[in-house]
Amino acid sequence: MTTARWNARVGRIGLYTLLVWICLFFSIPLLVVIATSLKTSDEVRTFSIFTLPSAPGIAAWIKAWSSACTGLNCGGVRVGFWNSVRILIPSVIISVMAGSVTGYALSHWRIRGANVIMLLLLFCAFIPYQVILYPLVKTFSTIGIYSSLPGIIAVHIVFGLPVMSLLFRNFYIGLPDELVKAARIDGAGFWRIFAFVMLPMSVNILIVATILQTTGIWNDYLLGLIFAGRDNMPMTVQLNAIATTSTGVIEYNVNTAAALLTALPPLLIYFASGRYFVRGITAGAVKG
Amino acid sequence: MSAVSVSGLFKSFGPLQVLKNINLPIEAGDFTVLLGPSGCGKSTLLNAIAGLEDTDAGIIEIDGADVTPREPSKRGIAMVFQSYALYPTMTVRKNMSFGLRVRSVPRPEVARRVDWAARLLQIHELLDRKPSQLSGGQRQRVAIGRALVQHAKVFLFDEPLSNLDAKLRTEMRVELKRLHKELDATIVYVTHDQIEAMTLATRIAVMRAGRIEQYAAPDDLYEEPATLFVASFVGSPAMNFLPGRLLAGNSPAVQVGSTRVPLDGYRFRTPPAAGQEVVVGIRPEHVAIARDEPSAQTMDAEALFMEPMGADTLGWFQFDQNRLSARLVPQVARGLSGRVRLSLLSDHVSLFDPSSEARL
Repeated sequence: MTTARWNARVGRIGLYTLLVWICLFFSIPLLVVIATSLKTSDEVRTFSIFTLPSAPGIAAWIKAWSSACTGLNCGGVRVGFWNSVRILIPSVIISVMAGSVTGYALSHWRIRGANVIMLLLLFCAFIPYQVILYPLVKTFSTIGIYSSLPGIIAVHIVFGLPVMSLLFRNFYIGLPDELVKAARIDGAGFWRIFAFVMLPMSVNILIVATILQTTGIWNDYLLGLIFAGRDNMPMTVQLNAIATTSTGVIEYNVNTAAALLTALPPLLIYFASGRYFVRGITAGAVKG
Repeated sequence: MSAVSVSGLFKSFGPLQVLKNINLPIEAGDFTVLLGPSGCGKSTLLNAIAGLEDTDAGIIEIDGADVTPREPSKRGIAMVFQSYALYPTMTVRKNMSFGLRVRSVPRPEVARRVDWAARLLQIHELLDRKPSQLSGGQRQRVAIGRALVQHAKVFLFDEPLSNLDAKLRTEMRVELKRLHKELDATIVYVTHDQIEAMTLATRIAVMRAGRIEQYAAPDDLYEEPATLFVASFVGSPAMNFLPGRLLAGNSPAVQVGSTRVPLDGYRFRTPPAAGQEVVVGIRPEHVAIARDEPSAQTMDAEALFMEPMGADTLGWFQFDQNRLSARLVPQVARGLSGRVRLSLLSDHVSLFDPSSEARL
């Protein structure tokens, strides 16, 4: 009895020690970045990175947002921010909607070769981007949308589709087939069943898909670098440009502030929607 | 003219033939039950009538029109599913009116029909609830209501009661019977529960392995099963089967062990051949304890055990190599043990060909 309790306590202590270490491992670099962004340039240069800012200020944040330089352009990361937003909104909406329609079609309509399509989707979902970058660039420049806003949006939609389709397909396959049959007898067709029966049931999975796509597209660097072109450079690409700018003194405080600004949107989305995220992921599992 | 007529229907899933030459005429006002074990093709047949399943060959007519190539919604049918299949995001009212709105029925008419169905099924106070807020029985009523508002020519039910508990099932059975009577509706109903089939149907089609073994009124099906399968599937406890041999002579009879069972009133479908091996089928309620002296017509058996079921007691007996059940009055069954003499009520005997399994 007492030994059992003793063992349980030792287990607890071990567990919490481990958790604290994991916390420190992940939070120390973050804390360093936050602290650095609140220091002045002089303070960054003279003191260790682990010291706390003596007089915390947001001057570096303001500079990063509105006047940090990328090469000769000194508009701050807000240029990249708005570029990212312009890329993000259509990409997310279109890829999520297209994914849900594909998933619905694959799960509830008998389509010739649906299994083959599924297999291809699964295969596509795991292809490393690097493999197809070169042919894709050639294709895009041939049809004239390389280095343009429509180009980068198209890339995100295409790359998002396999995972989105699988996600929605796995959700819809858990919904009873008899629902679709009942709606067909009621006289509804493919689109009406989708819009009035399936979509209203998909709120949770739509939220999950939107979060996945939003964070994925926002955090993307490689595709933005290659397909967006100079005028539509997303925030991540611009951040890199700011950090690697070789002229003048390296302003670590401005760079860290820019990095935090770039990381903020996905972070906020996770905080705001974590509840739905968990609910959506489990909804698919329980319903089936 | 039949309300529904299925003729020459074939259907296969890959190499598996699930419907083999189905012919099924259903009269208007009939309550037809498709009865059979799981995998016999009864649900596939119902889905084919509904148009939810394509068929390989054959013609389906509803109300005189060939509907084989038509979409489910263009066939004049309404359907109730096993899982109810209510739209979970819509209220009961919306669930019931969805089909009508899709067909652009005018609003006042939609309201009138929903109101009528809700009154008929006593679900008026549920109209503004979501399906998740309803009990199983209530969901079932809503599903039936959704079918009723369609004013369909034929109502299709796919095992609608199998998700309900025993008590509720009995209640809904009575309810369905009432609705059928009140609406004079044509109903095709799939179930594997032979009691449901017997109590509800005006005609039963017993199916096995993609074929209809017998299509008849419940009483006929029970009294004169057309095949061994029907005889064993319908009725609980199941019919007793004993090996026997037909006897020659001017009055036909069958020899079962040392017992001679007269067949004076038996309506042979095919002329009997003397000496032919047969399977003698007799229902438990047609086996009795013999009171009179031993004779050629009684059989000596060993009482094994008694199963009291309240209204009557099921007695189990060993007779030669065969086990035999008899439905007995509890007073008679009480204390029955050892050697007993049984007699078969020969008017109720069924004879089957052991090789073709068909009724003789």
